[in-house]
Amino acid sequence: MKKILYLIGVVLLFGVQAFAQTRTITGKVTDSGDGTALPGVSISTGRGGPSARTNAAGEYSISLPSDYKSLIFTFVGYATQTVSASSGRVNVLLVSSQNQLSEVVVSGYSSTSKKDFTGSAVKVSAAQIANKPVQSFDQALAGQAAGVNIIQPNGVLNNPPVFRVRGFNSISLSSYPLIVVDGVPVFTGTTGNTASVSSNSASNNPLGDINPNDIESIDILKDASSTAIYGSRAANGVVVVTTKKGKQGKTRVNYDGWVGITKAFNLPDMLNAEQYVTIKNEARANTTPRLDPGFALQQDASGKTIDTDWFDVVYQTGVSQNHNMSVSGASESTSYFLSTGYSKQESFIKTNSFERKIFRGNVDHHLSKAITVGTNFSYSNSLNIGPNTGSLLGQAYNTGGLARLPLVLAPNVSPYRPDGSYNITATGTLGLGANTIASNYPNAVVLLDNDRFTSKNDNIIANVYGELEIVKDLKLKTQYSLNKLNTANTTFQNPLSGDGQSNNGLALNTFEEYNRRDWTNTLNYIVAIDKHHINALVGQEEYHTTNVGTGTERTNLADGYFNNFQGNFLNSRSVAATGNFNTENGFRSFFGTVTYDFDKKYLLSGTFRRDGFSGLSANNKYGNFGGASIGWNIAEEDFFKNSSLGNIFDDFKLKGSYGVVGNIGVNDFASLALFNSGFYGSTSTVFFSQAGNPNLKWETSKKTDAGISFTMFKGRITADIDYYNNSINNLILNSPQSPSRGIPGDPVNTIAANVGSMFNRGIEFNITSRNIVKDNFSWTTNFNISTLNNKVTALAEGNADIYGSTSGLETANITRVGHTLGSIFVVPTAGVNPENGRRIFINRFGREVQYKQTGGTAWTYLDGTPAPAIDGTLDGKIVGKGIPTFYGGLNNTFTYKDFDLTVGITFSGGNKIYNGTQATLRDQRFWNNHTDILNRWTTPGQITDIPRLEYGDNYSNGSAIPNSSNVQNGAYAKLKNVALGYKFPTELVNRAGIASLRLYVQATNLAVVTGYDGSDPEVSTNGNSNLAPGVDRNGVPSSRIFTFGLNVGF
Amino acid sequence: MTTMMTIRKYKNSISVALLASVMVFVSSCTKDLLDPTPTTSIIDNEAFDNPARILLQVNGLYSGVKHGEFYGGRYIIYNEIRGDEFIVNRPNGVTGLDTWGQNVNSNTNEVVNLWSRSYAAINRINVFLAGLQANISKIDATLANQYIGEAEFLRALSYLALVQTYAKPYVFDNGASLGVPLRLVAETTLTGEGTNDLARSTVAQVYAQIIKDLDDAETKLPATPSAGAFRAFKNTAIALKARVYLTQANYAQVVTESAKIISTTAPFQAPAGGSRLDASISNVFNGAYTGTATASETLLSLPFTTTDAPGTQNQLAFYFNTSPGNSEYYLNAAGILANPALNSTTDARATLLTKAGTITYLSKFKTASPFTDYIPVVRYAEVLLNAAEASARTGNLTRATDLLYAVRRRSDPAFTFPAADISTEASLVNTILTERRIELLGEGFRTPDLKRLGLALPTKGNATSGIAPAVAPTAPNYIWPISGRELQSNRLLVPNP
Repeated sequence: MKKILYLIGVVLLFGVQAFAQTRTITGKVTDSGDGTALPGVSISTGRGGPSARTNAAGEYSISLPSDYKSLIFTFVGYATQTVSASSGRVNVLLVSSQNQLSEVVVSGYSSTSKKDFTGSAVKVSAAQIANKPVQSFDQALAGQAAGVNIIQPNGVLNNPPVFRVRGFNSISLSSYPLIVVDGVPVFTGTTGNTASVSSNSASNNPLGDINPNDIESIDILKDASSTAIYGSRAANGVVVVTTKKGKQGKTRVNYDGWVGITKAFNLPDMLNAEQYVTIKNEARANTTPRLDPGFALQQDASGKTIDTDWFDVVYQTGVSQNHNMSVSGASESTSYFLSTGYSKQESFIKTNSFERKIFRGNVDHHLSKAITVGTNFSYSNSLNIGPNTGSLLGQAYNTGGLARLPLVLAPNVSPYRPDGSYNITATGTLGLGANTIASNYPNAVVLLDNDRFTSKNDNIIANVYGELEIVKDLKLKTQYSLNKLNTANTTFQNPLSGDGQSNNGLALNTFEEYNRRDWTNTLNYIVAIDKHHINALVGQEEYHTTNVGTGTERTNLADGYFNNFQGNFLNSRSVAATGNFNTENGFRSFFGTVTYDFDKKYLLSGTFRRDGFSGLSANNKYGNFGGASIGWNIAEEDFFKNSSLGNIFDDFKLKGSYGVVGNIGVNDFASLALFNSGFYGSTSTVFFSQAGNPNLKWETSKKTDAGISFTMFKGRITADIDYYNNSINNLILNSPQSPSRGIPGDPVNTIAANVGSMFNRGIEFNITSRNIVKDNFSWTTNFNISTLNNKVTALAEGNADIYGSTSGLETANITRVGHTLGSIFVVPTAGVNPENGRRIFINRFGREVQYKQTGGTAWTYLDGTPAPAIDGTLDGKIVGKGIPTFYGGLNNTFTYKDFDLTVGITFSGGNKIYNGTQATLRDQRFWNNHTDILNRWTTPGQITDIPRLEYGDNYSNGSAIPNSSNVQNGAYAKLKNVALGYKFPTELVNRAGIASLRLYVQATNLAVVTGYDGSDPEVSTNGNSNLAPGVDRNGVPSSRIFTFGLNVGF
Repeated sequence: MTTMMTIRKYKNSISVALLASVMVFVSSCTKDLLDPTPTTSIIDNEAFDNPARILLQVNGLYSGVKHGEFYGGRYIIYNEIRGDEFIVNRPNGVTGLDTWGQNVNSNTNEVVNLWSRSYAAINRINVFLAGLQANISKIDATLANQYIGEAEFLRALSYLALVQTYAKPYVFDNGASLGVPLRLVAETTLTGEGTNDLARSTVAQVYAQIIKDLDDAETKLPATPSAGAFRAFKNTAIALKARVYLTQANYAQVVTESAKIISTTAPFQAPAGGSRLDASISNVFNGAYTGTATASETLLSLPFTTTDAPGTQNQLAFYFNTSPGNSEYYLNAAGILANPALNSTTDARATLLTKAGTITYLSKFKTASPFTDYIPVVRYAEVLLNAAEASARTGNLTRATDLLYAVRRRSDPAFTFPAADISTEASLVNTILTERRIELLGEGFRTPDLKRLGLALPTKGNATSGIAPAVAPTAPNYIWPISGRELQSNRLLVPNP
């Protein structure tokens, strides 16, 4: 009977009865942290037994029949504690932490105790994400959870991280998981490769509209049995976010705040003015025929040689601050939580900032023993401001991209003329200085001063629910949720220099409204008959999403005085390309789930969901999904308990699951053949715009999971080991059509079809060890590692390869049957020919072909005879995987007296990175170069990896055709986070009217150990792209952040 | 007890409300939730519903050809910068650096995108033709015929661009080499294994299809142009046919076709349709030239407006001009720019150039951002020069000379060619070819002309901007490789060597 007590999912127990008394136990319950008395704590012996509650002073008294040997202390917001009770006085310290939820897995529409849970999920607690200098909580998940791979693409503020749960789960659809906040499936802005809702250069992740400090816990559901309740949306995993609620007891007021500074992490070493002039003129002299010197040093008015560090022009030390205040509390019948937050963060990139104002409130109230109602509401207003960093998805080759400008702008030219005006040419490019060769690129200063991109969200996430206990343990719940996200994007590009120049100034405003309503009704029955425990839930859900956008572009500025959309422009237009859209989709679902256990030893669960989705073809709108799992708590068996293992293991569970879930994310009208309308001069047009597929149906992902989880040595060690195998079939693939078929659409020459398959397999290992637990000193280690083997097993149209492109211009990835999705695909090189300094490529026939930019045949075999030109497609080869095959984190927490220290390390490896930025850094046009260019080939016999310089050469170093000299090992270990805190003694601060006070300093991105030559191996130029991962191309580096903060409780 | 009763009542009413609301909700589920209708696109089965919409589809065919990566900009730019008239000023991979340097491969964006956009335009035409046939009862028969003629004309224009870019010139071997795949049916769905595969027809077969389309279009198109000649009419089809025959070196046919649209005596003009030279070339390149209500030099031009602007980095003025324009390419001092006509004070065509310091830009295209200069596809000056060359090559030196003068003296009324330049067939042909370079500079004729004459693509460049090598007609890169994307998915396709 005792084990029944683990039913913790329903935490509030009412209406208890007293039984015959045989002995009385009394005591006081206090908070283990600040020692305050806790009134209202439930004390019980389990189902059917006697129970009691603590009074205002935290005191309790309970009478126990003789056969009850232990007491269970339950209190909202605290870890449940079971204490053996013989007689007399028993004082209990309840652990007031965010870990209260760690004992339950919030899986879908209900929760399960971790011990009974047979799926695969990982919980991230508040402590792991609070107080981190991030914009959105997903950024803080790196290295925190097995099976969850988080990559921050670069240092642009509020740039959505790459977020993959157990690898890629789709090819053409998103691999971003479903995010559910307090039961509301929220907008992530993701339908393809990006999770940003901004249409301009200000990155905007809607998850930044959720205050990380409001989060109580995050459950990341990974396998099919735990995600199947989400059916068609579950293939990428489900992230269930639970926000904080009021805890019983006196009203709590907390303040958390930090200030910090941000710097660029690891910038490349560029040539200075003198080196630049030497190198570039050498390259000109090396051409055939020889080109005149085109570059020269220039002196400023005071006679000093101009040597511009363009990094100084573009980057800065950013200052950030973050404040949160919350008020919460609960009585027996009502709990409430209110919080406000303000965050103002500056990037190390000039003019890039993030500002968020947020309010959240929730109330839960027991109208009666049977009826509970509640509401949860959050409103946030966040403003993202950015320059064009050229670092967001699709921007890698933006002429005005600020990340690339310091790599290509001449260091021997000043940003300003002697009179203080901008140093630009008539077409807005950087002035020539003493050079005779013009730059194609704009002057970064003009862009920073005059261009402006903003993306602002008003985001409401709210729900209201009512729950009725019809008969004991049979609960009917209805919840209505909404997520209303309004995004306003503004662009202004100046007429002097950069992207706005050829338009003589451009302003583009778009306003986007995303509305989602969701009504869910569930009926939940929990019953225990003797040793049989059943938890059954059936439900029905409908949700409807509308996406509406309007936009207008204005060009040709009337007067240089104006600098916003509202100023006067000569031309304006408002068409689909300027951000007009109007789409909708709907879901209708029915679902049910049952978990059963016998005596807490044998666990079974089954889930079924039938989803209808509007985006699929007429005859295939509905799909059936489901999963099942089994588990065995061996530690509950007598033979185990009685063996020597029983002394070592507290818990030992074997579990397995299998299920089929789906992925959705196709366009709202993907199955239809459509005609669009446009212009032909001043008349309008109608034209074939989308080839439909009347057979388009659900993509299905079959997930198998097998694992063990155990705790040892009285909870000193807890560990989970899982094997997973996700097999994805009927992949919705933008099936490549021969371009000669002329199939329109986006992407062009493709038709969405259910073809292809792939798998993700691997092992996850997660262990937490409380190495040292002493009064004054403790040391806890968490280590997690996951492996991933992704392989594509079938593709469309006779397994035609699919290319992955970076910003539509460079193809360095390929998806090919038998290989990992988005493998790195480049032309192999055999280094630099020591005889003549030419780059040697290896063509498709395995022959060595060398390249010469000028003077005679460009492509020759090593004997000098002409060779066919190297061709990126035909001669390209797969040289590595674009995503890590293993990754994880190592997190250590130390406490010594009142000090605490956290050291977080993340690591990953097994992948290659295509370092396209290196191609930029070695390009032999007028661009500046990395100092490694000084190792260029100059004399016969010289062994080097930098070819002989020839002016204009964009082939030898990989700008024109990606080659393997820019492919590097992507393995790394990163000191991601170090935080040192000091908690003031309670007695001391109490005198000042403060309940608790902690100060801390924190550093992010302190160091990285890697063989990678680029700025940071944690990089993804193509964001969440499935087809083109592992590319580093012309982006800003990541940031290094130092913060100082305090947590105050009143 | 009373309290308990109240709560119970309360509880009951709430539970009834909850249950009722759930039931109402479930039963009120409308079918629409799963069947929304697109509001910004037209569903295929309504695309040919009425004559007005069918007309919009015809406009859509033109806009397909007018795509910025095809005839709306880049196709013309590529034909110019592969030739020898322009020098790269901004070494930017996105704006044709590798095309200028004769250094493209099957994966280069220019190669991939032009291929894809041409075929997208062709499929739009094929989809239209099929849809029109299926809905033929919905419009007037004459109008339907005219639309078919327009579609065929545009298909011919598109295939001519493809076959000239991706296949060996017809004149090398009378079209025996591999051309491009001839897609002539509507491609609208995923139709299974093998759909992607279509072998290349021979160059001759592609030309035969082009002529077939143009012959049919000629019979179906209206005799007079619509306002502005933004849509093809009879003369346009005939003129294009003359261009096609010229490309095949079938000079007799050029003469025959030209005769339909050039009067036998001066002033040379088309007997119908009002096609003739405008009095002034600067009129023609005023950015939005449409001629007069009754007469125009343009037989087809592609219009732009500020609303329908060419895409970024596709605009002719952006490439060739400076302020307005991005000075991407300037004129090669060793090219036709050296010709006295372009340096004279009497030839009006010299006014279409702009000097900036020591270098000269072409300012035929001159409209400020968003660079809405109309694109001349077929204009009467070319018609005359095609006919002049064919006449000369077929022995009619007098008519050839007259037609040549018609073009020259429009811009330089008092000009007289030295006798040596026009007295023999060879010298006259040479002079006419030079006149083409002067007259049609920047309009996309240079590379096709070099190819049909079997000439190397000349070397070009200088000590400042770098040098692009010459490309012999025998060299693999004389023609472009087939798009790598096509090679990957079309298993019957044979790549260019």
